[in-house]
Amino acid sequence: MTTTPITTTPTPPSSSTEMVTVTIDGKTQQFPKGTVLLEACNQMGAGVPFFCYHPGLTSPAVCRQCLVDVKGQPKPVPSCYTPVADKMEVMTKSPRALDVRRQMLEFTLVNHPIDCPICDKAGECLLQKHYFDWDAKLARNDGIKIKKAKVVDIGPRIVLDQERCILCTRCIRVCDEVAKTHQLEMADRGDHEILTTAPGHKLDNPYSLNTVDVCPVGALTSKDFRFEMRVWELYTTPSICPGCATGCNIEVHHSRGKIQRLVPRQNDQVNEHWMCDEGRLTYKRVHAERLAAPMSGGAPVDWDEALDDAGRVLRAALDAGSAGVGVVMNAQSTNEDLYALARLTFDHLGLGKAYLAGLDQGWSDDILVSADKNPNTAGAMAIGAGRLRTLLDLANDLKSGALHTLLVVGTHGVIGKDGAAGALPLDRLTTLVVIGTHRDEVSAAAKVALPLCEWAESDGTFTNRLGMVQRVRAAVPPAGDSLPGWEILSHLARKLGATMEFTEAKTVFAEAKQKLPFMKDAEWGRPLLPVQLRFAGSRG
Amino acid sequence: MAVGVKVVNRPGSLGQQAYLPAIAEGLGVTFRHFVKNFFGNVTGQRKKTDIATIEYPEEKKAYPERNRGLHRLMLRDDGQVRCVACMMCPTVCPAHCITIVPEEAPDGRIEKRPMIFEIDELRCVVCGLCVEACPCDAIRMDTLDHAKPTYRRGDAILDKEELMSRGVRSTAVQGGVGAFWREQVAGQPQTPASGEVVPAGAPHGPTPLRDHGHK
Ligand code: SF4
Ligand code: SF4
Ligand code: FES
Repeated sequence: MTTTPITTTPTPPSSSTEMVTVTIDGKTQQFPKGTVLLEACNQMGAGVPFFCYHPGLTSPAVCRQCLVDVKGQPKPVPSCYTPVADKMEVMTKSPRALDVRRQMLEFTLVNHPIDCPICDKAGECLLQKHYFDWDAKLARNDGIKIKKAKVVDIGPRIVLDQERCILCTRCIRVCDEVAKTHQLEMADRGDHEILTTAPGHKLDNPYSLNTVDVCPVGALTSKDFRFEMRVWELYTTPSICPGCATGCNIEVHHSRGKIQRLVPRQNDQVNEHWMCDEGRLTYKRVHAERLAAPMSGGAPVDWDEALDDAGRVLRAALDAGSAGVGVVMNAQSTNEDLYALARLTFDHLGLGKAYLAGLDQGWSDDILVSADKNPNTAGAMAIGAGRLRTLLDLANDLKSGALHTLLVVGTHGVIGKDGAAGALPLDRLTTLVVIGTHRDEVSAAAKVALPLCEWAESDGTFTNRLGMVQRVRAAVPPAGDSLPGWEILSHLARKLGATMEFTEAKTVFAEAKQKLPFMKDAEWGRPLLPVQLRFAGSRG
Repeated sequence: MAVGVKVVNRPGSLGQQAYLPAIAEGLGVTFRHFVKNFFGNVTGQRKKTDIATIEYPEEKKAYPERNRGLHRLMLRDDGQVRCVACMMCPTVCPAHCITIVPEEAPDGRIEKRPMIFEIDELRCVVCGLCVEACPCDAIRMDTLDHAKPTYRRGDAILDKEELMSRGVRSTAVQGGVGAFWREQVAGQPQTPASGEVVPAGAPHGPTPLRDHGHK
């Protein structure tokens, strides 16, 4: 399942969990003891509406939108707060249940501004969905609505609209339970109740954008995505966040070949329902300063010519002495690109070592963020298998003059912001061939530079810090003439007289899976077309 | 089998069978119309003639009141554009002829407005769906005018300023405080005591949330 929190994945019945028998709308089914009644109802397709319940958070049962009738109970019960019990008989569509839910919805809408035309949530709003599903009637309220503050700047990444807030407290619980910072709270009472920041605080925790995802309405909106797009114009492709070694599962939301936002995708083993704010902005680099065409001697050329040139200079360098030839791998590359590069470097060219580049270490916490800012360090280490050297070694080898030729595949972090990498004396080289994504110092210094697909433009897998091999999918078309790494490397290998016939990323994966023990349980998954959010129901 | 011959008697009188009188009669009708229209035109009595064509462009035909013509963008009381860039019209437009780039409005009252609003009148199929979709009475096609011929295709793309130049202040109330429900729904069944009564345009139960198909 995806981020849609309507139900968690049904727990497969196992012999160890005690099962209870529940009858919901006349259908009887077994559920593990302790299942929330709301989940049980919705797994049976009852579609019980809810606002304050979220499978990743605790349940305060404040919105009363999930009321259902349970036989033997004097009043309707909030299903999000009731565990299933044996022989329970539930009526989700009894006249009384329907009526109380409709009245709760009407009550929620009494002071709602209904400014859907300018609300970023329109199209994935739970309030819209429940209204159309269960009520769809004209307002009966002709009183004056209570006015509250509209464009409230409550943090560096988020804008609050207090009128739209339906007081479900999901965002407060995200701060309390996920980010572990109490930055949001309710103030005032009755129909003057508002969501606000705690005195002296801003909503600035590193997980703050999750509040935008969980907000069932458009009260919290992301400044980055604000007014960019209506959500129904977006297409979604599942992928993995390239921001750090955690490998949060994400959905890439894109439109007309541009990524518009990244949102988390549920994976209980990695990121549950969440991702960090920094990770959400990693998409920016996909559309910034890209190397769009193959360059040879500083001028754009076509692929054939560029590959010929690259092959020729590398061949000449190898003939002059392969000890002076170095290869730089990158921990930002997919397993497939790294595998193809490893085959070229170690098997075909017979080099004994390669250097591993990657972004510098950064901050970390014990929630999601890891200090290693590269998504595939684990994969690179496993593929390099003891033959990898650091950038510091590279700097030393360059200074000592041991290297005259360098092939760099992936330029992220090769010239770091500081430290040893920043001091790389690339001008000592006679030949520099770069396969890179961006127009940066490294590709500018290259004799031949070949444009490489970014993470969101090619298919492959990343290995996260837990050793899980997770699938990355191409979401947007490659920038300019860029090609995936494995493809460029197979062309280059042919120019160097080696045979490496990969036809698609999947064949690289299949071969790597056979050869590399850490990938033996990895799955490629079935091919997917991007789904338009317009037809995907509410993400809420 | 022997082939027989069947003699068919021609119908009508000798006069009909000769055709000539009918030809003369037809020419007579033509001549009568010619005389009437020709002299009617010369004497300025055109209205009384049978001529259905008009002498466009000197003479123009009045369009019916609900004709769908060239678009225009309506204005707020303060002269700003009414459109809030909600993207309903480009979403519904079957010809993909509306391009809107939204921006945040600086005055904070309305929040959102179009920075760019363009309609390609060459692509427009004049279906009027954009007008139906607009929740703000911002876009209308009631100009009783139609897209002008242009020398270059680009000239048929109307921008925000041009569309607003035809706009006037709209009288529709903004902010959802329109007609009161009591007048609108008089006679319609309201929230039923039991769940069974489902009045027109009413709830249809849960739409299943689609699995995005991703695992
Ligand atoms: S801002 Fe959104 S998530 Fe927070 S309480 Fe209001 S409706 Fe709920
Ligand atoms: S539907 Fe109306 S308000 Fe919405 S974008 Fe079109 S013209 Fe603007
Ligand atoms: S979802 Fe059950 S009370 Fe809010």
